[in-house]
Order: sequence, then C-alpha cells, then structure tokens
Amino acid sequence: MFYYRRPIVLFAIVVPVILTGAMIGGGISIKSKMATSFETKLTSYKEYETGRLSGLELETQVNKQRPLLEQWEAMLKQETASTVTSNLRQITEHLPSKEIQQTAFEPLEKGGFGAVSAQKSSQLRIALRGTFRTMQRALHELETRMPQLQLQDLKIDTAANQASLLNFQVTYTAWEK
Amino acid sequence: MATLSHPASLNPLKQFAQAYHILRKTSRASNPAWYQEAHELPFQVHIRVDGPQITTFYFDQKKNLWSAGPTLTEETLNDPSKIAPFANEVLRYSRSQGATALGMILHVADEFATAELKPEFDSPAALNDLREKAYLEPSTILEDASIQADQSAWRVLPYPAAGSSSIATTIALSRHYAPFFEALRHLSEQANFPIITRALSAPLVAIMGLSHAIAPGSGRPFVAILQYPWLTALAFFNEHADLKLIRTLQHRGLRRPTNFRNTMATTNASLEFVDPDLFLIPLGSNVDTVLDADLRITFANSRVETLQFPLPEGVPAWCPEPVIAAITAATDVPHITSHTFSILRDDHWATQNFLQTPKELVEIYPTRSEMKLLQLARLSWMAMAACALLSLCYVAYSAFRLVSRPEWSFDPSTAQAAKGRISNFGQEKAKANSWGNLLEDRSKAWASLEALAIMFPKDGGMIVKIYTHGAKPENTAGKATVGFIKEWKISGLARDEALDYLNRLNTREGIAAHFNEVARVTGNSAYNPSATTRSLVINVRTQENTGYKPAPVEESHLLDDSTYPFTFDLTITQRFEATDPLAINSAKIP
Repeated sequence: MFYYRRPIVLFAIVVPVILTGAMIGGGISIKSKMATSFETKLTSYKEYETGRLSGLELETQVNKQRPLLEQWEAMLKQETASTVTSNLRQITEHLPSKEIQQTAFEPLEKGGFGAVSAQKSSQLRIALRGTFRTMQRALHELETRMPQLQLQDLKIDTAANQASLLNFQVTYTAWEK
Repeated sequence: MATLSHPASLNPLKQFAQAYHILRKTSRASNPAWYQEAHELPFQVHIRVDGPQITTFYFDQKKNLWSAGPTLTEETLNDPSKIAPFANEVLRYSRSQGATALGMILHVADEFATAELKPEFDSPAALNDLREKAYLEPSTILEDASIQADQSAWRVLPYPAAGSSSIATTIALSRHYAPFFEALRHLSEQANFPIITRALSAPLVAIMGLSHAIAPGSGRPFVAILQYPWLTALAFFNEHADLKLIRTLQHRGLRRPTNFRNTMATTNASLEFVDPDLFLIPLGSNVDTVLDADLRITFANSRVETLQFPLPEGVPAWCPEPVIAAITAATDVPHITSHTFSILRDDHWATQNFLQTPKELVEIYPTRSEMKLLQLARLSWMAMAACALLSLCYVAYSAFRLVSRPEWSFDPSTAQAAKGRISNFGQEKAKANSWGNLLEDRSKAWASLEALAIMFPKDGGMIVKIYTHGAKPENTAGKATVGFIKEWKISGLARDEALDYLNRLNTREGIAAHFNEVARVTGNSAYNPSATTRSLVINVRTQENTGYKPAPVEESHLLDDSTYPFTFDLTITQRFEATDPLAINSAKIP
C-alpha cells in the first residue's frame, strides 16, 4: 500500500512546481511592470530633455527679445495722440521750420488695419506742409520712434500758394496696449 | 527520533511531513539495505537456537568468511530489555568490518511442529495462495480450528512427491522470539543502521541442505532423520528424492523420542516404503550418539548412514543450517537434484521468514519507490530553487540596471515644472512675436516717399501732380491672419523722353524691378516683390496733354504744365495674402 505516494507527488512536486512557477511568474511580472514604468519614465525623461534643450534655446531667444518687448510695451502703454504730438514737436524742432509745418492733427476711431485685429488700436490723421525730403526725414524719424504707426493713407499735392512746398495728409493706424 | 504514526491515521500534509522527516533523519533513501532481505545483505549474523545451546556466527558474504559471533545468552534472547549490550557489540563489529547493514538470521532449532491443511486444499496450483494465507489468515487454511494466530506463525511446505496424501503441510513456530526481533528493529532505527531480521526453521533449512550431503542415489526412497537436542524431525523422500512427508517427534526431556522406532515403521508402511535408506544427521553438540547403531539393528535391511554436511572452517559439524541457508545456486552445486530440492531453495519454501515484521510497522515507512520519488523530488527542489533564484537574481539585476539609470529617478513633477517654464517662455515668445508682427514695417510713409522719389528721378521728364497711397486689410473675418492691399495712384505730366520709361515701368518686370530697388535702398521687406504670397500689378495710362503748348527746350520750365505733351495716370496695386509673413495677426495679444 503506497500511503505516501500521493502526498509526495502533491507536496514535493506539484506544490513546489506551482510555487516556483509563481515566483518566476511574479518575477517576470515585476520585471515587466518595471520595464513598462521605465518606458514611461524614459519617454517623460526624453520629452523633458528635449523640452529642456528647446527651452534653453527659447529662453535665450526670449531673454534676447525681452528688453525690446519691455521697451515696446512701455511705449505702447503711452497715450498715442499725445506721444505723436510730442514726438512731432521734438522732430520739427530740429528741422528747418520753413520746410515743415504741422497744419492739422486729428485722432480718429479704430479703423484701418485695426479693424481686422482684436488688438487695441486707434487712428490718427496728421496734416503737414513742407518740402519732400524734409517731410520724408520727419516721417522717418517719427516712424522710427513709434514703430506702432502703420501708414494707412498718404496724400500729397502741391500747395496752392507756395510752389516749393507740398501738402501731406498722413493717416496712421497706431497699435496700442 | 520522533514517534512515527501509521500514515493511514495522518492527513496528507502530515503524511508528507513524516515521509520527509524519514528522508532527512534516516538513511532509508541512501541505503537500499533497509528494503532488502536479511539473506541478501553482504554482512550477516546467524543465531542458532537448539534448546540447550545458542550459537552465533558472523558471515561476511563477500569474503565467504564465517567467524564466531557475539555472545548471546538465553536470558538476552528471552528478555528484550537486556538486548542492548548484544546489539551494541553487533553494531560495533559490523561497522568495524565496513558493513553498512546487517542481516540478522535466527535459526530456530528448539521447536518444530506440523499442522495439517484442511482437506479441501488439494490443488497444487493453489500453493501460492495458501502460502499467502498462511501468513495473513492461517485459521482459514488449517484443519485445527483452535489455533491462536498471535502465538504462533505458520508457513506452508509443499509435498512435491507424487502420491502424497496431501499437497502440503504447514510448519508452525511460536512467536517466542518476536520481542527479540522487535527490540533489534527498534535499536536499528535508533542507530540508523539497517538490521534486517529473518527467522528460519532450522529443520527446514537442514532438509534443504540434504542435497549437498547425500551421495547420488541408490534409487531407493530414503528418510532423513534430523536429530536435534529437543526433537527429531523425519523427512520421507521417495525414490526420486521428492518429499512425501514430514513428521516431528519431541524428546520430552529424553535424548531421543520414545516412540521413534514405531513411528518410523508405521510411517514407512503407510508410505509403502520398503527398507528405505536411513540418513541420520546429528544436529546438536550433545545428541544421542548410539542412535546410528540402534537403527542398523532395528532396520537391518536398510542402509543406515550418518551424514556430514560440508562446512567451512569455524562452523561445527552439528551446526550446518547457517551455512546451508547462506548457500546460493551460484556458490555451490548440489550432489543430488530433484524437484523438491529445487523448489525448497529457488522458491524459498525452506527459508520462509517465520517472524516477519508486522505489516502495520512496515507501512509506517515509505516504500523504496516512494523514498526514491521523494529523494528525486528533493533534488528537483534544488533545480526549482535554482531556477527561482536565478529568475529573482535576473529580476533584481534588471531592476538594479533600471533604477541605476538617471531616467528612473526622474521626477515627472520636474517635467511638469519644466513644461510650465517652457510654456511661460513660449507665451512670452508668442507675445513678442505677436507684437513683432503688428509692429512690422508693412506700411511706412517714409518708405513710400522713397519709392516715389526713386520712381520719378530728377530730370526724368516727368512731374507728379497728385499722389495718393492707401493700405487696407482684406475683409476676411475669422481668420488668424489677414492679408492686406496697398495701392498707389499717381497722376502727373510727362515729356517724350519719359514715355519709354513709363512703358518699361508698366510691365511686370518693370514694376518688380522698381520695388526691388526700393526694398534694397530702404531695407523694407514689404517692397520685396519675389515673395510668392504677394502680387504686384501696375497700370499706366498716358494721354496727350490738352494744355500742351510746344516751346523750345530752353524755354520749357520744369514746373510749367504746358511744356509737357502728355499726362499719365499710374495705379500700382500690391496684394499681400493671409499667408504672407507681413499679414496681420487678428488675435488680441495677452
């Protein structure tokens, strides 16, 4: 009578095989989970590294642009009409008064280029009389000082009484913050 | 050693625990002797008990060497509690001889009794069944219904001779020496040294040995008279040397049985033996020595011969049973052969164990196949443990490799923080780009004036009277970027020499060259005509000046309109598509 055969098969073979299988299976499962977790971390890490490098590049660009942007923002915060008036006065002070005269200044409602943008803007119309090159110098100076000015309309005709002078009517769209 | 229980009383887990305990604590797995018979072991102790004398021998089967055995007194034999000195001496000597197991064979020569089978068992084919039943259920086969199975042991002995009154008889021995064997087995377990016991009936062994002592025959029946101190056994063989009958006569305190002559005569008559040969075998150191002479007188017509077994040195002539029992077919060749002597040795009829280990004690221990299975399983554990360990090491190594990489310790929150930082930079850059877009030099007055100046050079034979320039966005609501259109309208007067110039200008190449020049001089990219997202169209119309008054060249003043024979109207349209870099971003800047 083989009393021990069945318990030996059960406890000495079947159970150890199951336990070993469970341990190996568990090990494989843990490794698999770690590998999956690592893949996730690796993806995040690569994204981070890529982002970090591009971020450094971006930071360099932004740092380079920042003073300009701050300058722009400071400038755009100023009230447009008074700034234009002030700048024109400063510009004309350095030019021959016979060659340039401001004849009109008229702030207008939003329109022109500003009509298609959600960004705040205004229009202004300036009438000037002067010689061609002096006017060009004055407008160049004004547009350099105030890059937010976008020429909307420009009309030139000859002055009725002064043949050497021209009438300039300039309409600008001015971007504002 | 822990107390072992019969496995039938244990649950499977405890059965396994007990089997494993036996595997670990005993040599049953490594020493096959535990599962062998005593006579199969290479080192044996033979004990012969004939009543007045106890004789012991050591037998080294490998060397075929017999030597005097340990001292064993009747007191020790009958009182198991006093067995320790004897057993220790046996173990000590056996180990000193390099033995790893010991066969303890008891030759019982102080008792010999027969019991008849029930008459219904008369088929020789049933002998093996009878043999099994004699061991397990003796009462079912014996004619005597008053037997006590716990007091004696019965073993079947066949009568192979033709014409026998019965197919077999049974030999009975008391269980008198069972406690001695039990104590030996207990010590064996304690010492973890296999002592395998076997109890033989000395007369049966002696009968088996007759084939080595009797000279080849006279062709007559013969009677073997086994002369023991306390009994005389008679074995009657026919002329073919096949056993017909066994009888036993107790001496009852005398040196020979009182009814010996009568018994011989009547048995010979009943077996129809006429003057059989009589072989006397003295099997005691102090048996009746004049029986030989008496037989010659009483049975004058029979050949009477006293037999001597061929024995090795160290074994007395009256003590042949241990040597006979140790003889194997390979070691000795009998003098006479018959079916009886063949089956007595080959089928072990003469060497049946009368004091077998009880079945319930045997079953406590796993069988040899079970021990081998368990041993094999234990080896497989190591393999499985190695596999598991290797896999765990592999996992640990893999884990170590993973966690030692910088990516593993990377904190996702760092990525989030970096993303946030990059996002801030991105927003700032987007803001800067948006402002950059709005502040682009897409439409500047000074550049337009420069374009006008370049288009109408001094002394070019043209005079501009009216100049209007306008820029307006395209009406495309809802788009992220919006294109725009710039238009120049210029009216003036021209002389003959200017017409070619105006005609050249009034071509795609002409106006593009002009814009290209303006872009080069002013650095204003809005005048770059090569961009595919822009289109440039010019239309020049010239007419005769109705107020023209021909005059000599030297009288023609530059500002005098009547000196210009032609008027012109020039319209330039430059269109910027929504995909142009100078297109206007429609979104509000944050």
